[in-house]
Amino acid sequence: MNRREIILGGASTAAVLGTTGLHAQQPAEVLIGAVYQMSGASAQVGVDAQHAFDTALDVINNVHDLDLPLAKTAGLPGLGGAKVRVIVADHQGDPQKGRAEAERLITREKVAALIGSYQSAVAVTISQTAERYQVPFISADNSSPSLHRQGLKFYFRAGAHDEMFSKAMFDFFDALRQKGHKIETLALFHEDTIFGTDSANAQQKLAEERGYKIVTNIKYRANSPSLTAEVQQLKSADADVLMPSSYTTDGILLVKTMGELGYRPKAMVAQDAGFSEKALYDAVGDKIEGVISRASFSLDLAAKRPSVGKINELFKARSGKDLNDLTSREFMGLLILADGIDRAKSTDGEKIREALAATDIPGERTIMPWKRVKFGPDGQNLDADPVLLQWVGGKFVTIFPQSAAIAEAKWPMNT
Amino acid sequence: MASQELPGRDSSAVAPRAEAGGRERERIDHDASLGSFARRRHRKLAVAALTTVAIALLPLVIHDVYLQNIIVLTLMYAALSQSWNILGGYCGQISLGHAIYFGIGAYVSTLLFVHAGLTPWLGMLIGGVFAALVALALGYPFFRLRGHYFTIATIVVAETGLLLMLNWDFAGGAQGIQIPYGPDSWAHLQFARDKLPYVYFALGFALLTWLVTFLIEDSRWGYWWRAVKDNAEAAESLGVVVFRSKMAAAALSAFFTAIGGSFYAAFVSYIDPDSVMGFQLSLLIALPAVLGGIGTLWGPALGALVLIPLTELTRSYFGGSGNGLDLIIYGVLIMVIALARPEGLTSLFGRTRKARATPQARANPEARANP
Repeated sequence: MNRREIILGGASTAAVLGTTGLHAQQPAEVLIGAVYQMSGASAQVGVDAQHAFDTALDVINNVHDLDLPLAKTAGLPGLGGAKVRVIVADHQGDPQKGRAEAERLITREKVAALIGSYQSAVAVTISQTAERYQVPFISADNSSPSLHRQGLKFYFRAGAHDEMFSKAMFDFFDALRQKGHKIETLALFHEDTIFGTDSANAQQKLAEERGYKIVTNIKYRANSPSLTAEVQQLKSADADVLMPSSYTTDGILLVKTMGELGYRPKAMVAQDAGFSEKALYDAVGDKIEGVISRASFSLDLAAKRPSVGKINELFKARSGKDLNDLTSREFMGLLILADGIDRAKSTDGEKIREALAATDIPGERTIMPWKRVKFGPDGQNLDADPVLLQWVGGKFVTIFPQSAAIAEAKWPMNT
Repeated sequence: MASQELPGRDSSAVAPRAEAGGRERERIDHDASLGSFARRRHRKLAVAALTTVAIALLPLVIHDVYLQNIIVLTLMYAALSQSWNILGGYCGQISLGHAIYFGIGAYVSTLLFVHAGLTPWLGMLIGGVFAALVALALGYPFFRLRGHYFTIATIVVAETGLLLMLNWDFAGGAQGIQIPYGPDSWAHLQFARDKLPYVYFALGFALLTWLVTFLIEDSRWGYWWRAVKDNAEAAESLGVVVFRSKMAAAALSAFFTAIGGSFYAAFVSYIDPDSVMGFQLSLLIALPAVLGGIGTLWGPALGALVLIPLTELTRSYFGGSGNGLDLIIYGVLIMVIALARPEGLTSLFGRTRKARATPQARANPEARANP
């Protein structure tokens, strides 16, 4: 320990003594820093996140008759009813700026914890900064598996990461196999940036482990003007399941080309992204009745978890749209964080970290399809089950896992 | 100017003496202008020394890490833009692909550190040399292109580099590379919370690039580069080796840009292709020099001094609203500066000095005529 650390340590001890000693009355307000992209290409994500946080703050700071953490009380009872406030900062999709903003929120705004950040690259620098200042970071909507493998103590993620998403698909195949459906061969079809490549790599690994044969694995450029040659290959391979990892425009092109070449896949299980976009179904939804896509969230969960519908109403009143994969996780992330601060009865980073590490919220008390919220030593919630949705009659229906499903899967989609 | 007045005055005197006197006076004037040139150079050095000391003392007043972070970034962009200015400003070869050299610096030092445990101090030198070699290899075909075509080629090459890094798994691909979290160390250039070491490193880096530019201004290369910038054909006819001049400027510029990349990697401790090789970065490297005064000694530093605190502060205090107010303020200010000072911010100082110098200039002919 060098001199600076001693001084720093002394200063922080003094600060802690100061807050706990002099202001034993508890702070009137608990600040949380949210770091999102508020300008540029993905600014809409940040703006939506803000609505999700406002909805969560409404639930935390006011009395609501909902079976969610902190809903029935006003403010944080553990801190004498202190209200929670969120300060939003803009990282512009730049890891360096994300780091600078996290630092500013911690040192100048004195936030008790951080939440963020959509882009995984920015989450890397935010999580490192949080670790350096010993302030917890809730990674609400990042899905890169590398994040919880950094060996950080102040990192927490309640949602699923990409490998868990792919695993859900294969769990679904296994379940179908047990019911006597024949699933032997898979065709992978993925775009060539990080999203598609990672997805295909994970699928390939899982297929080998669980005894599925990949008959063709096609990598294509996302902005390709034509997919005719690729679809021809898919048609001749005619696998039991076609598994696309595509964005929106290329997904639309895939479906259109399939129609032109007369290829009707026996089944289609897609990796979110383009196949969860409204735009794709507006364009070609009628051609792919029965397509299945993975997701983190589904509105028809309201049938099993009544708070989903009510929270969606609160959110819709603010944003004019329904909750989606991202906003649902952002809402829940802030609730979980506030619950941790409440149980910590303190705004001290280490105490909040301990409380978060001890989190155990049953799935019924969330708006997510998760079994429960309980963090592993790496900060990852292993019970964050994703769901599979099937496009039936012009809307999505949850078909897997059993605990969240409201209908049986229609399988195969084309005979 | 003085020499033009000489014949008129000398015509009244006896011819041979007048001629000798004229020569003498010419020499004196030459010496005097050399002297004033030297004085100007000394004054520049003194200003730089004072500025450096002032910035070095700044952290004693500013303890806030957020503000210190802005100081680091300002100095880093001043140095980067100064490096860009060597090729873009003095030699007149506008590059909008300097991100590739920045990226090379960042990746070489980080890969060497993460995989071979090599200290970033050595890594940044290796990265710098590598970047200079790449600049030479690229310069060989590209310096046959002129004006806009050269600029377009630099953009294309930087984009190619970006795609390469995005698909190169060993270098982390699109995921990027993280520098492992360790104890504070000067050898590894890693400091968890302390910003002071980065302030001083960035200050040293900015001073170094300034000094190099200062030395270049009065060197043969410096004159050659400016000649190439003004008119390559005329320069060639006067014996300037145009092609080699451009190559030397490119290599030097790339070397220092790569050092900046290595520093960035150590400072942020995480790099990914988009943040160290993106087109945005190429623009950010060129912008301070353009705004401050392209091809001037103080331009890049002045430009960075205005731009970086402006972007950082507007983003932090208006960016959270999500309505783009920060970018509007930023854009409007740049437009105002560009309209009011088309030659760059340094012209602000140039005019005041000229204004101060005018009475002297008027007094001078008399002073010369009297003795």
